[in-house]
Amino acid sequence: MNSGVTLSKGDAGSAEVLLDAQHLTRRFGGLVAVNDVSFQVRRGEVFGLIGPNGAGKTTLFNLMTGLTPPSSGTLRFGNTTLTGLAPHQVAAEGVSRTFQNIRLFGPLSALENIKIAQHCRTQAGLWTGIFGRARAEERRVEQRAWELLDLVGLADRAGEQARNFSYGDQRRLEIARALATGPRVLLLDEPAAGMNTSEKGALTSFIREVRDRFDLTVLVIEHHVPLVMNLCDRVAVLNFGQLIAVGDPERVQKDPKVIEAYLGS
Amino acid sequence: MEFLQQYGFLMATMLQQGLLGLSLYAPLMAGQLSLASPGFYALGGYIAAVILTNPAFAGWRDALGYGIYPLTWLLGAVVCGLLGVVVGVPALRLRGIYLALATIAFVEILRVLALNLSITGGAVGLFGIPQAFGFVDRWQYLWQFLPLLILTLLFFHQLSRSRTGRAFRAIREDELAADAMGVPPTRYKVLAFVIGAVLAGIVGSMSAPFLNTWNAKQGTFDASIAYLAFVLIGGSRSMWGPLLGGALLTALPEVLRGLADWRLVINGLVLVVASLYLPQGIVGSLGRKPKPPIRPSAPPRDEGPVGPPYTPETL
Repeated sequence: MNSGVTLSKGDAGSAEVLLDAQHLTRRFGGLVAVNDVSFQVRRGEVFGLIGPNGAGKTTLFNLMTGLTPPSSGTLRFGNTTLTGLAPHQVAAEGVSRTFQNIRLFGPLSALENIKIAQHCRTQAGLWTGIFGRARAEERRVEQRAWELLDLVGLADRAGEQARNFSYGDQRRLEIARALATGPRVLLLDEPAAGMNTSEKGALTSFIREVRDRFDLTVLVIEHHVPLVMNLCDRVAVLNFGQLIAVGDPERVQKDPKVIEAYLGS
Repeated sequence: MEFLQQYGFLMATMLQQGLLGLSLYAPLMAGQLSLASPGFYALGGYIAAVILTNPAFAGWRDALGYGIYPLTWLLGAVVCGLLGVVVGVPALRLRGIYLALATIAFVEILRVLALNLSITGGAVGLFGIPQAFGFVDRWQYLWQFLPLLILTLLFFHQLSRSRTGRAFRAIREDELAADAMGVPPTRYKVLAFVIGAVLAGIVGSMSAPFLNTWNAKQGTFDASIAYLAFVLIGGSRSMWGPLLGGALLTALPEVLRGLADWRLVINGLVLVVASLYLPQGIVGSLGRKPKPPIRPSAPPRDEGPVGPPYTPETL
C-alpha cells in the first residue's frame, strides 16, 4: 500500500479515494475544536491521525461517525454523504469505530457484545424473534461472533463479562465488535492505550492482518510514535483543530511545523 | 376450594400487580425508567368499562356475548399501543429522571381527563361492570390473569434471546455505543415503551370487570410509585424481579392484616431495608451465574480464511 509518493496536501492523488473530508469544522461555543479540515483517505491504506492532546482528533472521529454533527463541511464515503447521518446509519453504511475510553457493554458477555454489533447486518423483527422464526439468522450471528472472538483470541472467554477483561483485551474486543458491524472503514481511537509493550508490538501486525483479511481501510488515532511509524501508510497531523501536515510518516516526522506543535517553539 | 374462596382474590390481585410490574420492566429492558404504566392501565380499564356498561355499546354486547371481553382486551391493547407511540416518541428524547417526570405528568393528564369527562363517569367513575365470562367468584379471574402472565413471561423470555432483545440491552448499557454499533436507539426505546403500554392496557381491560368499578383512582401517581417499588424490590435486570416484587408487595399488607395499621409501617420498612441491603433487588441478589455459552459445532473450516463480514455489497 505504500505508494512512496509524499504529498504535502490532503490530496490522495490518483489512488482510489474512499473517504473525502472537505472543510470539516466543529465549534463548541467559542472553541473551534476542528477547524476547516480537509483530507482524503485511499482505499486500503492505514491512515494515521496524530497530534498533541486536545488537538481535535477524537472530535474529528466523532464528526466522521455521526456522534457529533459538524458545524460545517462534508464527509463523503464513496458516493454517500456521511455528514448528516445518525451514528447507526453511518455504521450501516460501513464505517465503524472503537472508542478512546472503551465503551463496551460492560455487564454483557464478550459474545453478546459482538452479537449486538451485527444488528445492522441482520433483519429479524420483533415477532420473528418472539416466534423463534429467525433461527438461520441467529446461527449466522452466533457463528460470526465466535469467529471474531477467535480472531482476537478471546473465544475461550466468550461468556465472561466484558468489564472483567484487561485493558488490552477490552481494546481487542472492541475491535472485534467494530468488525462485527461489517465495516469497510475502521476508525481506531488510540487502540494501543493501556497495552503493554509486547501487546503494542503485536497490535501493528494485528491491524495489518485485519485490514488485509476484511479488505478494510483503517484510520487510527495514536500517540505511540513507533507504532504510528510502523503501521501507517500516511499520517495527518492535527494541532489546535487544524490540519498542519499530511503525508508519509518519515516526512511528516521531519516537518518543522509538526516538531513545533509537539515540542513548542 | 375453600382455599380459593379465601385467597383466590388475593392471588388474582398478586398476578395482576405482578403483570403491572412487568409493564414497567418492558421499557427498563431498554434502560428507560417510565412511570406511565398506571396511565395506560387506567385507559385500558376505561375502554373495557365503557364498552361493558355504556348503552351505546349494547348492540355490541348482545351480538358478541362473552366475546365482548376479549374484544375489550384487544381494543385496550391497540389504543394504548397507539397512544404509547404518540407519547413515547417525544417523551423518550428525555433521559433518566426527566423521562420519569414526563411520564408522571402523562399519568396526571389522563387522571384529570378521566375526572372531568362524562364518558368516564367523572369523579364517580363507572360501576356495575359485569363480571367477565359470567364469573361468579373472583378467584375465577385467575383464569384471565394466569394465562396472560404465562404468555407475557414467554414473550419476555423469547424477546431476551432475540435480535430485538439484544438491541434493548445494548441501549440499556450504553445508548451512544449502541448507536455507533448500528442499533437505532429511538426506534427501540419507543418499541420497549409501547410493549409496556400495551401490557398495562390489557391488564387494565381485564381488571375493570375484576374490580367491578372503575374510576380515576386507578391511574394515579401513587400507583406509579407502587409499581416502581415492585421493580426496586424484585430487581430490574430479570423479568422475574418485577413479577416477584409485585406479588410480594401485594400480599404483604394482606398477610399482615392482623397488625392493623402497623402493617403499612412494616410495608414501608421492608421497602427501605430492601433498597439498602438488596440494591439489585431480590432476584438480582440471588446472583445466578449465566451459563457459559456453548460454541456451535463449526462448519468445515478448510474453505480458506474467513471471508469479510457481510459488507454492504454482499447484502
